[in-house]
Amino acid sequence: MSPEVDQILLISSSQLSSALVPLLPAGYSQGQASLLSFMMVMCAQEYERGADVRASENSDVRALFRTLAAEIADRGLRAQLTAAADTRDESLTISALNTNNAELRRLLIALHAHLEQQDNHAAQARIWELLKRSAARRLVKLA
Amino acid sequence: MSDEITLPLQSYLARKFSAPELVVSDLARIPGGASRETYRFRVIYEQDGESVERGLILRRDPTASLIETERSTEFRAYGAFHKLGLPVPEPIALELEGGDLERPFFIMEEITGCSVASVLMPDPYCEHREKNGEQFFAMLGRIAGADPNALGLGDFDGPGTRELCWSHEVARWETVIDEDEREPQPIARAAIRWLKRNPPPPAQTICVVHGDYRTGNFLFDPDGNIRAILDWEMAHLGDPLEDLGWALDPLWAHGDPSRPAGTVAREKAIAIWEKSSGLKADPQALAWWEIFASLKGLAIWISAAREYAEGRNSDPVNAFSGWFCLAFHNHVLAERLGATS
Repeated sequence: MSPEVDQILLISSSQLSSALVPLLPAGYSQGQASLLSFMMVMCAQEYERGADVRASENSDVRALFRTLAAEIADRGLRAQLTAAADTRDESLTISALNTNNAELRRLLIALHAHLEQQDNHAAQARIWELLKRSAARRLVKLA
Repeated sequence: MSDEITLPLQSYLARKFSAPELVVSDLARIPGGASRETYRFRVIYEQDGESVERGLILRRDPTASLIETERSTEFRAYGAFHKLGLPVPEPIALELEGGDLERPFFIMEEITGCSVASVLMPDPYCEHREKNGEQFFAMLGRIAGADPNALGLGDFDGPGTRELCWSHEVARWETVIDEDEREPQPIARAAIRWLKRNPPPPAQTICVVHGDYRTGNFLFDPDGNIRAILDWEMAHLGDPLEDLGWALDPLWAHGDPSRPAGTVAREKAIAIWEKSSGLKADPQALAWWEIFASLKGLAIWISAAREYAEGRNSDPVNAFSGWFCLAFHNHVLAERLGATS
């Protein structure tokens, strides 16, 4: 598709901030419109990367589950990790990726808490590496 | 919208000031956060035979808020710190039932000729950043050093004892996350567990905590003087380091965390606060409160995201907070806690 959605959003944002915002009453209305314009830039960024951010995180979490499952003595948790590691993202729509991401995050929280109770510092460090990567991917990049 | 507020407001103030001919004019909504609708207006009335004209600010509850707060707390905090001599607008009237304006509201004096910084501005204070920062952290020290009972605020929500300050606050914000999260938050949950496993020492004293003391919540004039400390709606009793940790948070640093609030160097900020408050900022305790600050931020952004996503408050600042600020604080916490694991 050309123009692509992110390009439309960026051009619209620029038009909103340069041509329309100055016509609004100063103060609240201008502030609200300027924030909407800024968020259109954020939306453009997310349109381009959103599926990749989520799919990459889901893939990272599954890989970590696969690696750490062997270290988990608790049979129930180990079985959950193994099963989750074998799932995949069948659809790349944002909503489907979010649904899978929520399931994986729920189990990641349980795993992290379990490893803290077990004083398994090496495995905790691996989770923090994943969380750092994930948080960095989701940061909104200012131009 | 303007007439819907102007006429009932005029009627209310005419009764309040015993001035039947009072006129409200120039009512305009101004930015003031998503937790209250904020309006500027002017009133003209007769008092003791003299014509009085003054600018006032109306803060009215929205239909749903970024974070639920007590408007009487905010009103009383304005009054107490205004009397203490800090640059805080004089509160004029509080109506908890809403009455004429349908929703609870309060009115305070307008401070004119000032600016407020946006979090997204790279260098809002320019050549006045040192002066702004010196005043900003000295005023925070005065808040921390003031006796809540002497201020008449000793009954504010609080932990009861110095030992419970940290756990009271962690519980408060954990509850917000429990109630408002729309998706699992592994970094917030890890932060809560870390805060509970590594408690700070008891507070040196219990003080009034502003609750949202940061860049963007004060007005400054063209000469770099702070003229008004605003947004006391999250005020409560607690550990003095809570406000300092929040003020030092990287989200409010305008891109340079080594200069908190976009003003002075971090070490200088802490030294000013210590001198002004008469308290100590123990580095380990402060580090705990800085982790807590980012967790508290996450809770607020999670709550804002829910208000927006569920259609209760479509103010774009809720969407922005639930996206930009949430991602920011997740990153801050992952880096900080990842380094300690």
